[in-house]
Amino acid sequence: MLRTMKGPIISLRGITKQYPPDIIALSDIDLSIEKGEFVFLTGPSGSGKSTLLKLLSCMERPTSGELSLDDFDLTNLSASQVPYVRRKVGVIFQDFKLITTKTVFENVALSLEVIGLSSEQISKRVRDILELMGLASKTDRYPPQLSGGEQQRVAIARAVVNRPSIILADEPTGNLDRGMTNEVMALVEELNAEGATVIFATHDESLFAHTYRRVLTIHEGRLRA
Amino acid sequence: MNLNHFIQRAVADFRQNLPMQLMTTVVVCLSILIFTFFSFIYYNLQRTVERFGSELGLVVFLKTDIQESKIPILHQKLLNLPGIENVKYVSSEEAFERLGTYFEDAKGLLEGVDQHFLPASFELRINRAIFNLERIHALAVELEKWNEVAQVQYGKSWVDRLSAFVAVGEKVIWVSAVLLLATAAFVVSNTIKLAIYARQEEVSIMRLVGATNGFIQGPFLLEALFQGLVGSLLSIGLVFLCYSYFKGIVAQTELMRGVELIFLPPSYVISIVASSVVFCVCWTFLAIRRFLLV
Ligand SMILES: Nc1ncnc2c1ncn2[C@@H]1O[C@H](COP(=O)(O)OP(=O)(O)OP(=O)(O)O)[C@@H](O)[C@H]1O
Ligand SMILES: [Mg+2]
Repeated sequence: MLRTMKGPIISLRGITKQYPPDIIALSDIDLSIEKGEFVFLTGPSGSGKSTLLKLLSCMERPTSGELSLDDFDLTNLSASQVPYVRRKVGVIFQDFKLITTKTVFENVALSLEVIGLSSEQISKRVRDILELMGLASKTDRYPPQLSGGEQQRVAIARAVVNRPSIILADEPTGNLDRGMTNEVMALVEELNAEGATVIFATHDESLFAHTYRRVLTIHEGRLRA
Repeated sequence: MNLNHFIQRAVADFRQNLPMQLMTTVVVCLSILIFTFFSFIYYNLQRTVERFGSELGLVVFLKTDIQESKIPILHQKLLNLPGIENVKYVSSEEAFERLGTYFEDAKGLLEGVDQHFLPASFELRINRAIFNLERIHALAVELEKWNEVAQVQYGKSWVDRLSAFVAVGEKVIWVSAVLLLATAAFVVSNTIKLAIYARQEEVSIMRLVGATNGFIQGPFLLEALFQGLVGSLLSIGLVFLCYSYFKGIVAQTELMRGVELIFLPPSYVISIVASSVVFCVCWTFLAIRRFLLV
Protein backbone atom coordinates (compact mmCIF):
# COMPACT_ATOMS: atom_id res chain seq x y z
CA MET A 1 0.00 0.00 0.00
CA LEU A 2 1.27 3.43 -0.91
CA ARG A 3 1.18 6.01 1.79
CA THR A 4 0.52 9.32 0.19
CA MET A 5 0.68 11.37 3.35
CA LYS A 6 4.04 11.41 5.04
CA GLY A 7 3.89 11.27 8.78
CA PRO A 8 4.62 9.05 11.75
CA ILE A 9 3.54 5.42 11.40
CA ILE A 10 2.83 5.32 15.12
CA SER A 11 1.55 8.30 17.03
CA LEU A 12 0.38 8.69 20.63
CA ARG A 13 -1.15 11.93 21.93
CA GLY A 14 -1.74 12.31 25.64
CA ILE A 15 -2.20 8.60 26.13
CA THR A 16 -3.21 7.45 29.61
CA LYS A 17 -3.95 3.88 30.56
CA GLN A 18 -5.61 3.07 33.83
CA TYR A 19 -6.24 -0.53 34.83
CA PRO A 20 -9.18 -1.07 37.13
CA PRO A 21 -9.55 -0.04 39.82
CA ASP A 22 -6.96 2.77 39.92
CA ILE A 23 -3.62 1.51 38.60
CA ILE A 24 -2.17 4.15 36.33
CA ALA A 25 0.11 2.15 34.01
CA LEU A 26 0.75 4.97 31.54
CA SER A 27 0.13 8.65 31.97
CA ASP A 28 0.06 11.36 29.37
CA ILE A 29 2.37 9.79 26.82
CA ASP A 30 3.23 11.74 23.65
CA LEU A 31 5.22 9.78 21.12
CA SER A 32 5.79 9.65 17.37
CA ILE A 33 7.64 6.91 15.55
CA GLU A 34 8.54 7.28 11.90
CA LYS A 35 8.13 4.58 9.34
CA GLY A 36 11.25 2.42 9.23
CA GLU A 37 12.50 3.58 12.60
CA PHE A 38 14.02 1.21 15.17
CA VAL A 39 13.47 2.36 18.77
CA PHE A 40 14.39 0.77 22.05
CA LEU A 41 11.93 0.97 24.91
CA THR A 42 13.40 0.52 28.35
CA GLY A 43 12.56 1.11 31.96
CA PRO A 44 12.30 -0.77 35.23
CA SER A 45 9.93 -3.67 35.77
CA GLY A 46 6.34 -2.49 36.08
CA SER A 47 7.05 0.84 34.41
CA GLY A 48 4.52 0.26 31.61
CA LYS A 49 6.50 -1.10 28.64
CA SER A 50 4.21 -4.04 27.98
CA THR A 51 1.17 -1.84 28.46
CA LEU A 52 2.39 0.51 25.76
CA LEU A 53 2.89 -2.37 23.35
CA LYS A 54 -0.51 -3.82 24.28
CA LEU A 55 -2.17 -0.55 23.33
CA LEU A 56 -0.48 -0.72 19.93
CA SER A 57 -1.65 -4.28 19.32
CA CYS A 58 -5.19 -3.54 20.52
CA MET A 59 -4.96 -5.93 23.45
CA GLU A 60 -5.85 -2.98 25.65
CA ARG A 61 -7.70 0.24 24.90
CA PRO A 62 -6.37 3.61 26.13
CA THR A 63 -8.30 5.29 28.92
CA SER A 64 -7.81 8.66 27.27
CA GLY A 65 -5.75 10.25 24.52
CA GLU A 66 -5.37 9.57 20.84
CA LEU A 67 -3.56 6.70 19.25
CA SER A 68 -2.93 5.90 15.61
CA LEU A 69 -1.00 3.17 13.86
CA ASP A 70 -0.39 3.23 10.13
CA ASP A 71 -3.77 4.11 8.63
CA PHE A 72 -5.74 2.95 11.65
CA ASP A 73 -7.16 5.26 14.26
CA LEU A 74 -6.87 2.96 17.27
CA THR A 75 -8.84 5.32 19.49
CA ASN A 76 -12.10 4.63 17.67
CA LEU A 77 -11.33 1.26 16.16
CA SER A 78 -14.26 -1.12 15.66
CA ALA A 79 -13.80 -4.68 16.90
CA SER A 80 -14.07 -6.03 13.36
CA GLN A 81 -11.03 -3.96 12.31
CA VAL A 82 -8.78 -5.33 15.06
CA PRO A 83 -7.60 -8.40 13.09
CA TYR A 84 -6.41 -6.20 10.24
CA VAL A 85 -4.31 -4.09 12.59
CA ARG A 86 -2.78 -7.24 14.02
CA ARG A 87 -1.79 -8.54 10.62
CA LYS A 88 0.35 -5.43 10.12
CA VAL A 89 1.88 -5.80 13.55
CA GLY A 90 4.06 -8.74 14.50
CA VAL A 91 4.06 -9.02 18.28
CA ILE A 92 6.65 -11.01 20.19
CA PHE A 93 4.83 -11.47 23.48
CA GLN A 94 6.74 -11.37 26.73
CA ASP A 95 4.87 -14.51 27.80
CA PHE A 96 5.16 -16.07 24.30
CA LYS A 97 1.44 -16.89 23.96
CA LEU A 98 1.98 -20.15 22.12
CA ILE A 99 -0.88 -22.60 21.64
CA THR A 100 0.16 -25.54 23.80
CA THR A 101 -1.97 -28.05 21.90
CA LYS A 102 -0.46 -27.23 18.53
CA THR A 103 2.97 -28.09 17.21
CA VAL A 104 5.76 -25.57 16.65
CA PHE A 105 5.01 -25.70 12.94
CA GLU A 106 1.28 -25.13 13.44
CA ASN A 107 1.89 -22.26 15.84
CA VAL A 108 4.07 -20.42 13.37
CA ALA A 109 1.86 -21.31 10.40
CA LEU A 110 -1.10 -19.65 12.09
CA SER A 111 0.18 -16.16 11.22
CA LEU A 112 0.13 -17.13 7.55
CA GLU A 113 -3.11 -19.10 7.63
CA VAL A 114 -5.03 -16.08 8.84
CA ILE A 115 -3.96 -14.08 5.80
CA GLY A 116 -5.02 -16.91 3.52
CA LEU A 117 -1.77 -18.21 2.03
CA SER A 118 -1.76 -21.58 0.29
CA SER A 119 -0.44 -24.53 2.25
CA GLU A 120 2.64 -24.83 -0.03
CA GLN A 121 3.58 -21.21 0.59
CA ILE A 122 2.94 -21.60 4.29
CA SER A 123 5.01 -24.76 4.51
CA LYS A 124 7.98 -23.19 2.76
CA ARG A 125 8.00 -19.94 4.70
CA VAL A 126 7.49 -21.63 8.06
CA ARG A 127 10.33 -24.08 7.42
CA ASP A 128 12.62 -21.25 6.34
CA ILE A 129 12.01 -19.17 9.43
CA LEU A 130 12.29 -22.17 11.76
CA GLU A 131 15.60 -23.02 10.11
CA LEU A 132 16.77 -19.47 10.65
CA MET A 133 15.74 -19.60 14.33
CA GLY A 134 17.59 -22.89 14.82
CA LEU A 135 14.38 -24.81 15.39
CA ALA A 136 14.41 -27.05 12.32
CA SER A 137 14.60 -30.18 14.47
CA LYS A 138 11.76 -29.05 16.74
CA THR A 139 9.10 -28.58 14.06
CA ASP A 140 6.74 -31.25 15.35
CA ARG A 141 7.24 -30.67 19.06
CA TYR A 142 4.67 -29.08 21.29
CA PRO A 143 5.59 -25.89 23.19
CA PRO A 144 5.60 -27.49 26.66
CA GLN A 145 8.30 -29.85 25.36
CA LEU A 146 10.61 -26.92 24.60
CA SER A 147 13.00 -24.89 26.77
CA GLY A 148 12.15 -21.28 27.58
CA GLY A 149 14.60 -20.01 24.99
CA GLU A 150 13.21 -22.33 22.34
CA GLN A 151 9.68 -21.20 23.08
CA GLN A 152 10.81 -17.61 22.79
CA ARG A 153 12.30 -18.31 19.38
CA VAL A 154 9.03 -19.91 18.24
CA ALA A 155 7.22 -16.76 19.37
CA ILE A 156 9.70 -14.65 17.39
CA ALA A 157 9.29 -16.86 14.32
CA ARG A 158 5.52 -16.53 14.47
CA ALA A 159 5.73 -12.75 14.85
CA VAL A 160 7.97 -12.17 11.85
CA VAL A 161 7.03 -14.97 9.44
CA ASN A 162 4.39 -12.86 7.71
CA ARG A 163 6.83 -9.95 7.28
CA PRO A 164 4.79 -7.39 9.21
CA SER A 165 5.41 -3.70 8.61
CA ILE A 166 5.61 -3.10 12.36
CA ILE A 167 7.35 -5.36 14.88
CA LEU A 168 6.58 -5.01 18.58
CA ALA A 169 9.09 -7.00 20.54
CA ASP A 170 8.46 -7.36 24.28
CA GLU A 171 11.65 -8.65 25.93
CA PRO A 172 12.33 -10.92 22.95
CA THR A 173 15.75 -11.91 24.25
CA GLY A 174 14.84 -12.31 27.90
CA ASN A 175 15.36 -16.07 27.87
CA LEU A 176 18.16 -16.30 25.34
CA ASP A 177 21.90 -16.73 25.74
CA ARG A 178 24.35 -14.25 24.29
CA GLY A 179 24.75 -16.12 21.02
CA MET A 180 21.04 -16.49 20.38
CA THR A 181 20.43 -12.89 21.48
CA ASN A 182 22.87 -11.70 18.85
CA GLU A 183 21.11 -13.79 16.22
CA VAL A 184 17.72 -12.40 17.17
CA MET A 185 19.13 -8.86 17.11
CA ALA A 186 20.59 -9.56 13.66
CA LEU A 187 17.24 -10.88 12.42
CA VAL A 188 15.32 -7.88 13.71
CA GLU A 189 17.95 -5.52 12.27
CA GLU A 190 17.60 -7.24 8.93
CA LEU A 191 13.80 -6.92 8.95
CA ASN A 192 14.25 -3.28 9.90
CA ALA A 193 16.65 -2.81 7.01
CA GLU A 194 13.96 -4.23 4.74
CA GLY A 195 11.59 -1.51 5.92
CA ALA A 196 9.90 -2.79 9.08
CA THR A 197 9.36 -0.36 11.92
CA VAL A 198 10.54 -1.86 15.22
CA ILE A 199 9.81 -1.15 18.86
CA PHE A 200 12.10 -3.24 21.00
CA ALA A 201 11.30 -3.36 24.71
CA THR A 202 14.14 -4.62 26.90
CA HIS A 203 15.88 -4.32 30.26
CA ASP A 204 19.17 -5.39 28.74
CA GLU A 205 21.20 -2.19 28.57
CA SER A 206 24.01 -3.88 26.67
CA LEU A 207 21.66 -4.14 23.68
CA PHE A 208 21.39 -0.38 23.31
CA ALA A 209 24.46 0.87 25.16
CA HIS A 210 26.35 1.71 21.98
CA THR A 211 23.47 2.28 19.64
CA TYR A 212 22.89 5.36 17.53
CA ARG A 213 19.16 4.55 17.67
CA ARG A 214 16.51 6.30 19.71
CA VAL A 215 16.08 4.91 23.23
CA LEU A 216 12.82 5.64 25.02
CA THR A 217 12.96 5.36 28.76
CA ILE A 218 9.76 4.92 30.65
CA HIS A 219 9.46 5.40 34.39
CA GLU A 220 6.30 4.84 36.41
CA GLY A 221 4.18 5.28 33.34
CA ARG A 222 5.89 8.44 32.09
CA LEU A 223 8.28 8.88 29.21
CA ARG A 224 11.60 10.48 30.12
CA ALA A 225 13.32 12.58 27.53
CA MET B 1 -10.72 -18.24 2.97
CA ASN B 2 -13.12 -20.81 1.60
CA LEU B 3 -15.24 -23.69 2.82
CA ASN B 4 -12.64 -26.20 1.73
CA HIS B 5 -10.11 -24.54 3.97
CA PHE B 6 -12.55 -24.55 6.89
CA ILE B 7 -13.24 -28.24 6.36
CA GLN B 8 -9.53 -29.02 6.34
CA ARG B 9 -9.00 -27.13 9.57
CA ALA B 10 -12.10 -28.66 11.13
CA VAL B 11 -10.83 -32.15 10.29
CA ALA B 12 -7.41 -31.37 11.76
CA ASP B 13 -9.09 -29.90 14.84
CA PHE B 14 -11.30 -32.91 15.17
CA ARG B 15 -8.33 -35.23 15.19
CA GLN B 16 -6.42 -33.08 17.63
CA ASN B 17 -9.31 -32.89 20.08
CA LEU B 18 -10.73 -36.34 19.42
CA PRO B 19 -11.71 -37.31 22.98
CA MET B 20 -13.52 -34.03 23.59
CA GLN B 21 -15.22 -34.13 20.21
CA LEU B 22 -16.41 -37.70 20.71
CA MET B 23 -17.63 -36.90 24.18
CA THR B 24 -19.74 -34.04 22.88
CA THR B 25 -21.12 -36.22 20.10
CA VAL B 26 -22.02 -38.98 22.55
CA VAL B 27 -23.66 -36.51 24.94
CA VAL B 28 -25.70 -35.11 22.05
CA CYS B 29 -26.61 -38.65 21.03
CA LEU B 30 -27.69 -39.77 24.51
CA SER B 31 -29.65 -36.61 25.24
CA ILE B 32 -31.57 -36.88 22.02
CA LEU B 33 -31.92 -40.64 22.39
CA ILE B 34 -34.06 -40.28 25.49
CA PHE B 35 -36.33 -37.81 23.80
CA THR B 36 -36.53 -39.76 20.55
CA PHE B 37 -37.30 -43.03 22.27
CA PHE B 38 -39.98 -41.36 24.31
CA SER B 39 -41.50 -39.81 21.17
CA PHE B 40 -41.45 -43.20 19.51
CA ILE B 41 -43.36 -44.86 22.33
CA TYR B 42 -45.86 -42.05 22.56
CA TYR B 43 -46.39 -41.95 18.84
CA ASN B 44 -47.22 -45.64 18.72
CA LEU B 45 -49.44 -45.50 21.76
CA GLN B 46 -51.46 -42.69 20.29
CA ARG B 47 -51.77 -44.39 16.95
CA THR B 48 -52.90 -47.64 18.50
CA VAL B 49 -55.57 -45.94 20.55
CA GLU B 50 -56.83 -44.13 17.50
CA ARG B 51 -56.86 -47.25 15.45
CA PHE B 52 -58.83 -49.25 17.99
CA GLY B 53 -61.26 -46.43 18.31
CA SER B 54 -61.92 -46.21 14.63
CA GLU B 55 -62.02 -49.94 14.15
CA LEU B 56 -65.21 -50.07 16.13
CA GLY B 57 -67.11 -48.34 13.42
CA LEU B 58 -70.47 -46.64 13.94
CA VAL B 59 -73.93 -48.05 14.34
CA VAL B 60 -76.73 -45.75 13.20
CA PHE B 61 -80.06 -46.74 14.76
CA LEU B 62 -83.09 -45.67 12.80
CA LYS B 63 -86.38 -44.50 14.22
CA THR B 64 -88.96 -47.32 14.37
CA ASP B 65 -91.55 -45.45 12.33
CA ILE B 66 -89.32 -45.19 9.27
CA GLN B 67 -90.75 -46.10 5.86
CA GLU B 68 -89.27 -49.13 4.10
CA SER B 69 -88.93 -47.15 0.88
CA LYS B 70 -86.58 -44.65 2.47
CA ILE B 71 -83.98 -47.29 3.40
CA PRO B 72 -82.16 -47.49 0.02
CA ILE B 73 -82.02 -43.68 -0.18
CA LEU B 74 -80.51 -43.46 3.29
CA HIS B 75 -78.12 -46.27 2.46
CA GLN B 76 -76.85 -44.31 -0.53
CA LYS B 77 -76.68 -41.08 1.46
CA LEU B 78 -74.47 -42.74 4.08
CA LEU B 79 -72.26 -44.32 1.46
CA ASN B 80 -71.72 -40.92 -0.10
CA LEU B 81 -70.28 -39.51 3.10
CA PRO B 82 -66.53 -38.99 2.85
CA GLY B 83 -64.41 -41.68 4.44
CA ILE B 84 -67.17 -44.29 4.72
CA GLU B 85 -65.91 -47.57 3.34
CA ASN B 86 -68.89 -49.82 3.77
CA VAL B 87 -72.49 -49.55 4.94
CA LYS B 88 -74.46 -52.58 6.02
CA TYR B 89 -78.20 -52.48 6.65
CA VAL B 90 -79.42 -54.51 9.59
CA SER B 91 -83.18 -54.79 9.59
CA SER B 92 -85.25 -55.03 12.68
CA GLU B 93 -85.77 -58.78 12.11
CA GLU B 94 -82.10 -59.40 11.58
CA ALA B 95 -81.30 -57.62 14.79
CA PHE B 96 -83.76 -59.82 16.59
CA GLU B 97 -82.16 -62.92 15.09
CA ARG B 98 -78.75 -61.77 16.26
CA LEU B 99 -80.16 -61.33 19.72
CA GLY B 100 -81.48 -64.84 19.41
CA THR B 101 -78.05 -66.29 18.71
CA TYR B 102 -76.72 -64.30 21.59
CA PHE B 103 -79.19 -65.84 23.98
CA GLU B 104 -79.04 -69.27 22.37
CA ASP B 105 -78.84 -71.06 25.72
CA ALA B 106 -81.82 -69.21 27.09
CA LYS B 107 -84.22 -69.09 24.16
CA GLY B 108 -87.16 -68.88 26.45
CA LEU B 109 -86.22 -65.39 27.37
CA LEU B 110 -87.24 -64.03 24.01
CA GLU B 111 -90.47 -65.95 23.64
CA GLY B 112 -93.47 -63.78 23.11
CA VAL B 113 -91.36 -60.72 22.47
CA ASP B 114 -92.31 -58.65 19.46
CA GLN B 115 -89.94 -59.37 16.57
CA HIS B 116 -89.86 -55.70 15.75
CA PHE B 117 -88.99 -54.27 19.11
CA LEU B 118 -85.41 -53.69 18.02
CA PRO B 119 -84.78 -50.76 15.71
CA ALA B 120 -83.30 -51.24 12.25
CA SER B 121 -79.78 -49.91 11.87
CA PHE B 122 -76.92 -49.23 9.53
CA GLU B 123 -73.41 -50.41 10.41
CA LEU B 124 -70.76 -48.11 9.06
CA ARG B 125 -67.19 -49.12 8.43
CA ILE B 126 -64.94 -46.13 8.18
CA ASN B 127 -61.61 -45.47 6.61
CA ARG B 128 -59.04 -45.60 9.38
CA ALA B 129 -56.59 -43.44 7.54
CA ILE B 130 -59.02 -40.54 7.56
CA PHE B 131 -60.78 -40.91 10.88
CA ASN B 132 -59.47 -40.25 14.31
CA LEU B 133 -61.52 -40.30 17.47
CA GLU B 134 -62.48 -36.69 17.22
CA ARG B 135 -63.78 -37.04 13.71
CA ILE B 136 -65.78 -40.13 14.58
CA HIS B 137 -67.38 -38.20 17.38
CA ALA B 138 -68.14 -35.28 15.05
CA LEU B 139 -69.67 -37.65 12.50
CA ALA B 140 -71.84 -39.25 15.17
CA VAL B 141 -73.13 -35.88 16.31
CA GLU B 142 -73.84 -34.93 12.70
CA LEU B 143 -75.74 -38.15 11.97
CA GLU B 144 -77.85 -37.81 15.07
CA LYS B 145 -79.29 -34.62 13.62
CA TRP B 146 -80.80 -36.52 10.71
CA ASN B 147 -84.58 -36.90 10.92
CA GLU B 148 -84.57 -40.63 10.36
CA VAL B 149 -81.89 -41.35 12.93
CA ALA B 150 -82.76 -42.23 16.47
CA GLN B 151 -79.26 -42.71 17.89
CA VAL B 152 -75.66 -43.25 16.88
CA GLN B 153 -73.29 -45.49 18.76
CA TYR B 154 -69.62 -46.00 18.35
CA GLY B 155 -68.56 -47.94 21.38
CA LYS B 156 -68.79 -44.56 22.97
CA SER B 157 -68.01 -45.25 26.57
CA TRP B 158 -65.01 -47.34 25.67
CA VAL B 159 -63.71 -44.75 23.26
CA ASP B 160 -64.54 -41.95 25.67
CA ARG B 161 -62.54 -43.56 28.39
CA LEU B 162 -59.72 -44.17 26.03
CA SER B 163 -59.80 -40.59 24.79
CA ALA B 164 -59.86 -39.29 28.32
CA PHE B 165 -56.85 -41.45 29.04
CA VAL B 166 -55.15 -40.14 25.93
CA ALA B 167 -56.02 -36.56 26.82
CA VAL B 168 -54.51 -36.84 30.29
CA GLY B 169 -51.65 -38.83 28.85
CA GLU B 170 -51.08 -36.11 26.33
CA LYS B 171 -50.60 -33.49 29.03
CA VAL B 172 -48.27 -35.74 30.99
CA ILE B 173 -46.40 -36.42 27.83
CA TRP B 174 -46.10 -32.78 26.85
CA VAL B 175 -44.76 -31.87 30.26
CA SER B 176 -42.30 -34.77 30.16
CA ALA B 177 -41.29 -33.87 26.63
CA VAL B 178 -40.56 -30.31 27.64
CA LEU B 179 -38.59 -31.49 30.68
CA LEU B 180 -36.65 -33.98 28.61
CA LEU B 181 -35.88 -31.36 26.00
CA ALA B 182 -34.79 -28.90 28.68
CA THR B 183 -32.51 -31.54 30.20
CA ALA B 184 -31.04 -32.37 26.82
CA ALA B 185 -30.52 -28.69 26.04
CA PHE B 186 -28.88 -28.11 29.42
CA VAL B 187 -26.54 -31.08 29.17
CA VAL B 188 -25.59 -30.44 25.56
CA SER B 189 -25.06 -26.72 26.00
CA ASN B 190 -22.85 -27.25 29.05
CA THR B 191 -20.82 -29.90 27.30
CA ILE B 192 -20.28 -27.55 24.39
CA LYS B 193 -19.36 -24.74 26.75
CA LEU B 194 -16.80 -26.91 28.53
CA ALA B 195 -15.30 -28.02 25.24
CA ILE B 196 -14.95 -24.41 24.10
CA TYR B 197 -13.55 -23.28 27.47
CA ALA B 198 -10.90 -25.96 27.16
CA ARG B 199 -9.81 -24.27 23.96
CA GLN B 200 -10.07 -20.71 25.23
CA GLU B 201 -6.30 -20.18 25.04
CA GLU B 202 -6.18 -21.32 21.46
CA VAL B 203 -9.09 -19.08 20.46
CA SER B 204 -7.70 -15.96 22.10
CA ILE B 205 -4.22 -16.52 20.66
CA MET B 206 -5.66 -16.91 17.20
CA ARG B 207 -7.30 -13.53 17.70
CA LEU B 208 -3.95 -12.06 18.72
CA VAL B 209 -2.17 -13.09 15.56
CA GLY B 210 -4.80 -11.48 13.36
CA ALA B 211 -7.48 -14.10 12.76
CA THR B 212 -10.93 -12.71 12.05
CA ASN B 213 -13.81 -14.00 14.12
CA GLY B 214 -15.16 -15.80 11.07
CA PHE B 215 -11.84 -17.57 10.57
CA ILE B 216 -11.82 -18.76 14.17
CA GLN B 217 -15.50 -19.70 14.34
CA GLY B 218 -15.68 -21.48 10.97
CA PRO B 219 -14.12 -24.81 12.03
CA PHE B 220 -15.83 -24.71 15.44
CA LEU B 221 -19.21 -24.29 13.79
CA LEU B 222 -18.47 -27.08 11.32
CA GLU B 223 -17.50 -29.32 14.22
CA ALA B 224 -20.73 -28.41 16.01
CA LEU B 225 -22.66 -29.21 12.86
CA PHE B 226 -20.99 -32.58 12.72
CA GLN B 227 -21.66 -33.29 16.39
CA GLY B 228 -25.31 -32.30 16.09
CA LEU B 229 -25.77 -34.32 12.92
CA VAL B 230 -23.92 -37.47 13.94
CA GLY B 231 -25.26 -37.37 17.51
CA SER B 232 -28.87 -37.12 16.42
CA LEU B 233 -28.53 -39.64 13.58
CA LEU B 234 -26.92 -42.10 15.99
CA SER B 235 -29.74 -41.71 18.48
CA ILE B 236 -32.33 -42.18 15.75
CA GLY B 237 -30.45 -45.22 14.52
CA LEU B 238 -30.55 -46.68 18.04
CA VAL B 239 -34.28 -46.06 18.32
CA PHE B 240 -34.69 -47.71 14.93
CA LEU B 241 -32.86 -50.77 16.26
CA CYS B 242 -35.23 -50.84 19.25
CA TYR B 243 -38.14 -50.50 16.85
CA SER B 244 -36.99 -53.46 14.77
CA TYR B 245 -36.50 -55.51 17.91
CA PHE B 246 -39.90 -54.67 19.42
CA LYS B 247 -41.63 -55.13 16.12
CA GLY B 248 -40.61 -58.76 16.05
CA ILE B 249 -41.79 -59.27 19.63
CA VAL B 250 -45.13 -57.58 19.02
CA ALA B 251 -45.75 -59.64 15.89
CA GLN B 252 -45.24 -62.85 17.88
CA THR B 253 -47.40 -61.89 20.82
CA GLU B 254 -50.96 -63.20 20.54
CA LEU B 255 -52.36 -60.48 22.74
CA MET B 256 -51.11 -57.73 20.49
CA ARG B 257 -52.50 -59.05 17.26
CA GLY B 258 -53.54 -56.18 15.06
CA VAL B 259 -51.12 -53.83 16.76
CA GLU B 260 -48.48 -52.72 14.36
CA LEU B 261 -45.44 -50.73 15.51
CA ILE B 262 -44.66 -47.74 13.35
CA PHE B 263 -41.35 -45.88 13.21
CA LEU B 264 -41.39 -42.11 13.65
CA PRO B 265 -42.50 -40.40 10.44
CA PRO B 266 -39.75 -38.88 8.25
CA SER B 267 -40.88 -35.33 8.95
CA TYR B 268 -40.41 -35.96 12.68
CA VAL B 269 -36.98 -37.52 12.18
CA ILE B 270 -35.92 -34.59 10.02
CA SER B 271 -37.05 -32.07 12.62
CA ILE B 272 -35.14 -33.88 15.37
CA VAL B 273 -31.95 -33.89 13.30
CA ALA B 274 -32.43 -30.30 12.20
CA SER B 275 -33.12 -29.02 15.73
CA SER B 276 -30.11 -30.87 17.05
CA VAL B 277 -27.84 -29.36 14.41
CA VAL B 278 -29.24 -25.87 14.86
CA PHE B 279 -28.95 -26.11 18.63
CA CYS B 280 -25.33 -27.30 18.59
CA VAL B 281 -24.27 -24.68 16.07
CA CYS B 282 -26.02 -21.84 17.87
CA TRP B 283 -24.64 -22.79 21.26
CA THR B 284 -21.13 -23.12 19.92
CA PHE B 285 -21.52 -19.73 18.31
CA LEU B 286 -22.63 -18.18 21.60
CA ALA B 287 -20.07 -20.02 23.74
CA ILE B 288 -17.15 -18.96 21.59
CA ARG B 289 -18.24 -15.35 21.28
CA ARG B 290 -17.04 -14.35 24.71
CA PHE B 291 -13.46 -15.23 23.78
CA LEU B 292 -13.55 -13.18 20.62
CA LEU B 293 -13.91 -9.80 22.25
CA VAL B 294 -10.25 -8.92 22.95
N1 LIG C 1 -4.16 -6.42 33.46
C1 LIG C 1 -3.69 -5.62 34.42
N2 LIG C 1 -4.52 -5.23 35.42
C2 LIG C 1 -4.06 -4.41 36.38
N3 LIG C 1 -2.85 -3.92 36.43
C3 LIG C 1 -1.97 -4.24 35.46
C4 LIG C 1 -2.36 -5.11 34.41
N4 LIG C 1 -1.29 -5.26 33.57
C5 LIG C 1 -0.31 -4.52 34.11
N5 LIG C 1 -0.70 -3.91 35.23
C6 LIG C 1 0.07 -3.00 36.04
O1 LIG C 1 0.49 -1.93 35.20
C7 LIG C 1 1.82 -1.56 35.46
C8 LIG C 1 2.65 -1.67 34.18
O2 LIG C 1 2.72 -3.03 33.81
P1 LIG C 1 3.55 -3.50 32.53
O3 LIG C 1 3.27 -4.93 32.33
O4 LIG C 1 3.22 -2.58 31.41
O5 LIG C 1 5.04 -3.29 33.01
P2 LIG C 1 6.42 -3.63 32.23
O6 LIG C 1 7.13 -2.37 32.07
O7 LIG C 1 6.13 -4.41 31.02
O8 LIG C 1 7.15 -4.55 33.29
P3 LIG C 1 8.15 -5.78 33.03
O9 LIG C 1 9.46 -5.18 32.67
O10 LIG C 1 8.22 -6.46 34.35
O11 LIG C 1 7.56 -6.60 31.94
C9 LIG C 1 2.30 -2.49 36.56
O12 LIG C 1 2.20 -1.77 37.78
C10 LIG C 1 1.35 -3.63 36.55
O13 LIG C 1 1.16 -4.15 37.84
MG1 LIG D 1 6.47 -6.28 30.35
